[in-house]
Amino acid sequence: MTITHTLNLDYQLQPGWLEPYVQGLLQGNAVARSCSACKKISFPPVRVCACNSTSGEWVGLSGEAHIVSRCDGSDGSYALVQFKGADTRAVVQLKGMVQLKGMVQLKGMAESSQVGYLQAPESGSPALILAPASGESCE
Amino acid sequence: MAQIKAIVCGVGITAFNRRTDGSSFRDWALAAFEDALSMSSLERPDIDALIVASESDFFSLQLNPASVLAGDLGLIGASTMRVEGGGASGQLAVQAGVRLIQSGAIRHVAVVGVDPSASQLSAQTVKSLYSFSFDAWVDGMTGVSSTVLYALSFQSFMNRVAVNSHHLGQVTRQNRANAMHNPRAHLGRLHKQPEIDESPMIATPYRRLHCSPLSDGAASVILSAPKHRPGKRKNAPAIVGAGAASDTVHLGARSDAGEFAAKRLAMQRACREAGITAKQINIAEVYDAYAGAQLQAIDALGLSSDICRDLDDGCFSPGGNCPINLSGGLMGQGAPVGATGVAQTATCALLLEGLYEKELQPVSLPRYAVADTHGGICTTAAVTLLAGAAA
Ligand SMILES: [Zn+2]
Repeated sequence: MTITHTLNLDYQLQPGWLEPYVQGLLQGNAVARSCSACKKISFPPVRVCACNSTSGEWVGLSGEAHIVSRCDGSDGSYALVQFKGADTRAVVQLKGMVQLKGMVQLKGMAESSQVGYLQAPESGSPALILAPASGESCE
Repeated sequence: MAQIKAIVCGVGITAFNRRTDGSSFRDWALAAFEDALSMSSLERPDIDALIVASESDFFSLQLNPASVLAGDLGLIGASTMRVEGGGASGQLAVQAGVRLIQSGAIRHVAVVGVDPSASQLSAQTVKSLYSFSFDAWVDGMTGVSSTVLYALSFQSFMNRVAVNSHHLGQVTRQNRANAMHNPRAHLGRLHKQPEIDESPMIATPYRRLHCSPLSDGAASVILSAPKHRPGKRKNAPAIVGAGAASDTVHLGARSDAGEFAAKRLAMQRACREAGITAKQINIAEVYDAYAGAQLQAIDALGLSSDICRDLDDGCFSPGGNCPINLSGGLMGQGAPVGATGVAQTATCALLLEGLYEKELQPVSLPRYAVADTHGGICTTAAVTLLAGAAA
């Protein structure tokens, strides 16, 4: 036998220090963290820079990113990407970014220069989504 | 000779599988603990502390599980705590037990790892919960699954180390074949390569058969201070070194997304504490949540200078220089999260004492073993080194 029990949880998460990042994402803007000490720019933002500095400021990026490597399958299409102007990489969901011909499945696609742009999520969640520029053919 | 930090005087591991017999995680915890206690030759009043490893209240629907298990295990009065570090929870609990022993305040500690990861919630729900094991605000909100993050990390690893789908197949076939001889294993199978190649693609390059299953189960170890070693357990193996470390949670913020840097650091710390090197290790139970993660672990632990050659030469197979995941690992034995690291340590202890499953027990008694566990995408790493009584 089993005990059937249903639990519904409706969270109201408060973004805290990440608020500029979250607000930016919801509007389709890439808001990154620039370290005051070494000027390195992290996106998604890192609170304490690798140089150990805790102070930084928020800076806007263009939202353009190129795919470093991608994976596809039943869990969806995602990629490790480099946003233009950022010193760190990001894991993003791909929407409409068709896999280029000749991309080798089993090798990191370091040579790839496929470019996409941050897109505002349709849901209210601050998801990182990369899509082709509007109106641009994805093939 | 490595200095003994704690004696592993008893171990217990339940079957890892998807329970359909109506038993609960509280039953499995008790079964594992009673096996460990019986092997230790100790009695309940001897146990000064209980440490419970359990990854998520979402799985068990039990907050403060150590308080409930203290009652179920007959350990009321013992000090209790719960240790959680994602996939590393079990190994971190073992290490917390070692540190308690080293403090001098505790004679004997029972470590119990348990999670109902398979039977209580749907696989889809568990998968959704797992996706909050990374940065819930960033990766979690993007909907990235565990398999996707591991796949992207492994792709980066392939840029540095010349491994490919052939090696993923080797690991998958070996771990599942080892599990055939482990009666507690969830997925003992003799896979043919085409079966692996034709299983559904989850996230390139990972196909379903390259992934570990969701399992229910529990494991326990009883650790004792060297000066309180039970008289009947003269041949019990010992923990000689423990190391833990962390890495940045964002894969993209790492200088090399394919490198398990926290594991490398944890291993260095464990080796320094034990006074041994990776080359002295004869047996390894490593964290193979995915086939490629096993290859990344071999690299980070320093168990090979040429992974492809050593795989092809059978170094990591039963009968090799350093058999890896004789239990079947997470891929073959199964993965009830909180139990995983405890079971790895228990397996190493049994192998060092010559008490493991007879088809898997090496002919000559191994001297040193490593139990390697991590949480997140190796964001939290815990590595424990054990030595046999003869070492
Ligand atoms: Zn900095």
